[in-house]
Amino acid sequence: MRPLKDAQLGAFTFFASALPHDVCGSNGLPLTPNSIKILGRFQILKTVTHPRLCQYVDITRGKHERLIVVAEHYESSLSDFQKQGKTVCPDKVLQVAFEVLEGLEFINKHGMVHRALTAHNVLMDSEVKMSYVDFPIGYPSYLAPEVIAQGSFHLSDSHDEAPLPSGPKTDVWSLGVLLFELCAGRRLLQNSDISERLKFILTLGCMDDIVTVLAEEHGCLDTIKELPENVLELLRKCLTFLPSKRPTPAELLCDPVFNDVSCFYTPFQKPVGLFSSSLRCAHLELPEDISDLCKDDDEDYLSERAIDEVYHLWCLAGGDLEKELTNKEIIQSKPPICTLPNFVLEDGESFGQGRDRSFLLDDTTVTLSLCQLSNRLKDVAGEAYYPLLEDEQSSLPQSNSSNELLATVTLPLIIRERDTEYQLIRIILFDRLLKAYPYKKILMWKEARVDIPPLIRGLAWAALLNIEGDIQAKYDGIDKDTPIPTDRQIEVDIPRCHQYDELLSSPQGHAKFRRVLKAWVVSHPDLVYWQGLDSLCAPFLYLNFNNEALAYACMSAFIPKYLYNFFLKDNSHVIQEYLTVFSQMIAFHDPELSNHLNEIGFIPDLYAIPWFLTMFTHVFPLHKIFHLWDTLLLGNSSFPFCIGVAILQQLRDRLLANGFNECILLFSDLPEIDIERCVRESINLFCWTPKSATYRQHAQPPKTAADNGFSKPATYYTSDYQDMPKTDLSREALALCDLKAEVSPRISAEDLIDLCELSLAGPTKRSKAGKPKIIAVDIRTVEDFSRGHISGSVNISFSTAFSPDGELLQCPTAGILQNYRGRVIVVISHAMKSAAMFAAHLVKVNFPRVCILDGGINKLKPTGLLTVPSPQI
Amino acid sequence: MKKNKCKASSSTEKEFVFEFKAATHKCVLKVPLQFPVEENINDLHGRLMLLHKIPCYIENELKTSLSNFIERETTLDYDREAELALQRLTTGDADVNQLTNAWTRSYVETTLEHAWPEEPSWDEDFADVYHELIHSPASDTLLNLEHNYFVSISELISERDMEIKKLQERQATEMDKVMHELGNTLSDQDVNAVASQHFDAQQVLENKWASELKQVTGIQKQEYQEWVIKLHQDLQKSNNSSKINEEIKVQSSQLSEPADSGSRMFEAQPLLEESFTIHLGAQLKTMHNLRLVRADVLDFCKHRRHGSSGTKLRRLQTALSLYSSSLCGLVLLVDNRVNSYSGIKRDFATVAKECTDFHFPCLEEQLDEVQQVVLYARAQRSSKQKEQPEVPRNGNDDKSKNVERNPSNIIPGEFYISRHSNLSEVHVVFHLCVDDNVRSGNITARDPAIMGLRNILKVCCSHDITTVTVPLLLVHDMSEEMTIPWCLKRAELVFKCVKGFMMEMASWDGGISRTVQFLVPKSISEEMFYQLSNMLPQIFRVSSTLTLTSKH
Repeated sequence: MRPLKDAQLGAFTFFASALPHDVCGSNGLPLTPNSIKILGRFQILKTVTHPRLCQYVDITRGKHERLIVVAEHYESSLSDFQKQGKTVCPDKVLQVAFEVLEGLEFINKHGMVHRALTAHNVLMDSEVKMSYVDFPIGYPSYLAPEVIAQGSFHLSDSHDEAPLPSGPKTDVWSLGVLLFELCAGRRLLQNSDISERLKFILTLGCMDDIVTVLAEEHGCLDTIKELPENVLELLRKCLTFLPSKRPTPAELLCDPVFNDVSCFYTPFQKPVGLFSSSLRCAHLELPEDISDLCKDDDEDYLSERAIDEVYHLWCLAGGDLEKELTNKEIIQSKPPICTLPNFVLEDGESFGQGRDRSFLLDDTTVTLSLCQLSNRLKDVAGEAYYPLLEDEQSSLPQSNSSNELLATVTLPLIIRERDTEYQLIRIILFDRLLKAYPYKKILMWKEARVDIPPLIRGLAWAALLNIEGDIQAKYDGIDKDTPIPTDRQIEVDIPRCHQYDELLSSPQGHAKFRRVLKAWVVSHPDLVYWQGLDSLCAPFLYLNFNNEALAYACMSAFIPKYLYNFFLKDNSHVIQEYLTVFSQMIAFHDPELSNHLNEIGFIPDLYAIPWFLTMFTHVFPLHKIFHLWDTLLLGNSSFPFCIGVAILQQLRDRLLANGFNECILLFSDLPEIDIERCVRESINLFCWTPKSATYRQHAQPPKTAADNGFSKPATYYTSDYQDMPKTDLSREALALCDLKAEVSPRISAEDLIDLCELSLAGPTKRSKAGKPKIIAVDIRTVEDFSRGHISGSVNISFSTAFSPDGELLQCPTAGILQNYRGRVIVVISHAMKSAAMFAAHLVKVNFPRVCILDGGINKLKPTGLLTVPSPQI
Repeated sequence: MKKNKCKASSSTEKEFVFEFKAATHKCVLKVPLQFPVEENINDLHGRLMLLHKIPCYIENELKTSLSNFIERETTLDYDREAELALQRLTTGDADVNQLTNAWTRSYVETTLEHAWPEEPSWDEDFADVYHELIHSPASDTLLNLEHNYFVSISELISERDMEIKKLQERQATEMDKVMHELGNTLSDQDVNAVASQHFDAQQVLENKWASELKQVTGIQKQEYQEWVIKLHQDLQKSNNSSKINEEIKVQSSQLSEPADSGSRMFEAQPLLEESFTIHLGAQLKTMHNLRLVRADVLDFCKHRRHGSSGTKLRRLQTALSLYSSSLCGLVLLVDNRVNSYSGIKRDFATVAKECTDFHFPCLEEQLDEVQQVVLYARAQRSSKQKEQPEVPRNGNDDKSKNVERNPSNIIPGEFYISRHSNLSEVHVVFHLCVDDNVRSGNITARDPAIMGLRNILKVCCSHDITTVTVPLLLVHDMSEEMTIPWCLKRAELVFKCVKGFMMEMASWDGGISRTVQFLVPKSISEEMFYQLSNMLPQIFRVSSTLTLTSKH
């Protein structure tokens, strides 16, 4: 979006007409309210950016079908000329005409028409800008004859039911009337009532020279006669009665009457987007003298930010649209008790309710004052608007407020997201990082670990998912129209997916859902649509509502990373392995809970499949998913296990207190989860989990080719275990039945060496603080132990530790175990079976973090890491 | 390749022809396109490339020519349609006047600029004034004034009752005497004459009192409104609030004469009630409050004298929210006649008359208006049905017959609404029409009464009624056929339906938290009440208190 510059924000409001009482749609579901339909259709307007057009910023839904639109706004408009009552010089008229036509041509290209062109819609700053509104109703004096002839319809029936949409040429007529008014210096047809005016316009068809007739009618024939020929010519062309003879805006732009004017304007070029095949900096021209760029010191930095950013910050700084409009008396509502109906029929039709005047359209635009926002931000230093990314040391700008910001970072996320200054800094930072994407990807990852500003989340996620290239072309190349067998299922699922959200429940939202899902299904022939894919699509679609291609690209990148092969036609082996590893993770982190759940037979298969298949999008509302996924996207593919365990732990008390039936009931409609706590705890769990513990045979195979130079930083936590080079010490695949038999996870010898810091090549790189504390427990016999063992391991032979019925015996070695309770306990033995049994016993008596060394002691023998204790003296 | 949608008559199929050279071959691509084109050109282009395996070097060429073609044809279509419409006017197929009138109407009805100026409404002005005053220090005075008016009315009413009682006693003794003489000196005719004389006397007395009451309430209402307006003007005139405060205080001290304990004072009975906080919604959850109360339906309406604990507070609460956007509603089950002559309707009317309504017309006037509206609605309906005679009405036959017999009656599932400022906890009363069917054990979710409940909740949504009281068993009084299984079955049905409607409401109003009170008749047993209160959390998901307490 363009920077704000000297524009202002304007807001106006209207009501969508209420639906006729209780009608159901063809699918048997209740109809979508009109306001939601409009809201969905409106979104596309946000993308229409052109220097001659006012930028639409936002639309919000108020109570009772009220809609409020926020757009770029200027105080002055063409109607100012009219108020002054002067004629406008012909050159200016041509300029205005040309600029308006440029704007019209642009929106026509996007398949829209203005329909309501009028003097106060043509707003001015240094150059003329035009705002357009897609209301299906115009202003009576400016209506083109064919529009009148085609009949009227009510304001907010929305386009769907409009009898006939108008073509682009209707705007040319309106422009003609507008220009005529400018030339004549007075308004047309103001005196008579509406039907007289309309009749007059219709009768113009019989006249030969409409311009002359109009001039005569308004007694300004002399003024019009004096106009230069090219202006007169333009007027005549605009005010051609028959649409077929009237030129379109595009044709008119090329007309010779503009020969003098058009040379002053360079054609508008759409800026290159983040994801495209062309070079983003191709048109970048630096001035000769670089200091030209920073001439004036006391610039208003805020106005250099994009309009939507300013609006977002305005909202954060306490802006309330409804309040602004109420203060200007645009919204005047009667007390509800005065507008109650008297009588309501059985089918819900109500009677005896007067039409509320406050529901009428008042097209006044209210300027939103930015004072409060600039006051709030007056302490933010100018440097903060242009942070230097090269400086790796300080990502946050060093200024007076930096200490304050550092303090803000420690506050809860919810508060940070509502903090105006903090969000300003974060948005600027992410905006710049994205501009430097993918070059600054590493820094992006680092900053994303702090938090992601909600306004930029869509693009930030795309960056975290390594989206690159011309995604639009790729998306366009996918056939999304031809019917496929999955259509029926998709059609059934969409109206049930996150429908509390206005965007996703709008018909536009449904259509976009359908296209993105179909594109995914068609472009992944080896995978199929499983129910749940719709939920998975929802967050991406919501964030990139106007960019289906990006939503599709994100989803396509997300699924192989976290849900590799989950959408196979026969995915049972993948899911079964996943769930088994999950139950091992429960046992690893919370043995007490695991014991209870196993006892009552409440296994993950009963509740966790929708969790993982949809990556929790099926169980949480969107705003929670965003916070969860902000972290999930930073972790590797085993992070979801930790989230699952964290959710279980939040419901721990209730699960422990209840039996099977209550647990099923509890999970059938998951209770509220504190998502910030869940994220915090899952990170903690993740840090305690040895990487190889979540090894899955069916996980995504390691990438064949290494990423290009800007690959994400391969830190311990973000890289997948599967991505590590495979060695002899890695874990080996295990048959599902064997895996199921083991309560505790296995870890690889590699991990053990790393965690015990037994490395052959001296001290490891990682600091000790970041690692889980570990204790190796050798359960071989004393003799075997003395022949060679890992340094630092304790020897507790199986037979001495447990009684035959599984009780931990009171003996000195058991005491050692108790002392190390809480550490990661790695059980080492000759035979895997005995190690597994030992671990199971430990879990049974509620020892947390128990795992087994994969392959036993034999794995370690070739490494030469085993030590023989020096004989005791 | 194209879905054959022939929905609008204006949609036509046109053929897009594109020629290109591939090596030495000259190829022609012909695509039938449906106009107006509704799909994305980029998508169409991508599909054509894919389907016909078109070489990539003509990709851009194809795109330009495709979009040019579509643009050109669309413009032609627009022009044709537009000129057709103009032609219709010149040939006289369409009437110019009718057309322009339609335009005018739609302008007048929808835009402020062209709308008729609004005539100032006294009611709304008064509403604004009152709302302002009740939220100022003057509220106490207002309430005291209202209460004093109430006291004087109730004194009048008790006087009336006394006099009627006396008359009845006198007449009874007289009748006894007459009966004694029957057969001796007096004949049957004489007895009848006496009886009719008694009846007339009673009528005269009642009418006298009714007119007196009406007069007094009229005077009270006028006085009150004048006083409120004056107070408001005074407040506005002088910003010197201390002086006004004194004035208010003087007023209040003058008016707050000790309220003596009248005989009609409401005796607070031990209520059984239980509250629940619930969450609704699959992913996004909204919180609502539910309450199960065992009470008489009119307990929510009866105005009580100050003194009993909380009465004044409750009164203040009701007054504060009268013109706000959090109203309280009550569902009253009535029969199919719009009047207040019998049963619960009469009891309600009695309660509504106990205190002057200073804001809205009295119940009788409101009911008269409703009666007019009902007739109007019937007329509208029948004219609409005549327009579309083919509408299948297989199930509605007996119903429509009923309506035809007496158009002023309402049918089950319909309801009328009355507004009150003088009831203790309620602003809006929904008079929902039910028939004897609700007493039977086998009503379903499609029953008119249930559909009526849904419409009531819908009105609650659109008019900011945030608290609504619903009779859980759809009856106000218990009778023999209402056994325990009957009650449980009925309660389950209503709970489930209301739950469904509340979830539906979330999509109407974006999930505003509300309170729904389920009312059960006073006559049900305590065990029954607890059975019902156990049922509620099984149907609604009660939010747990555990999540608040468990902190690791």
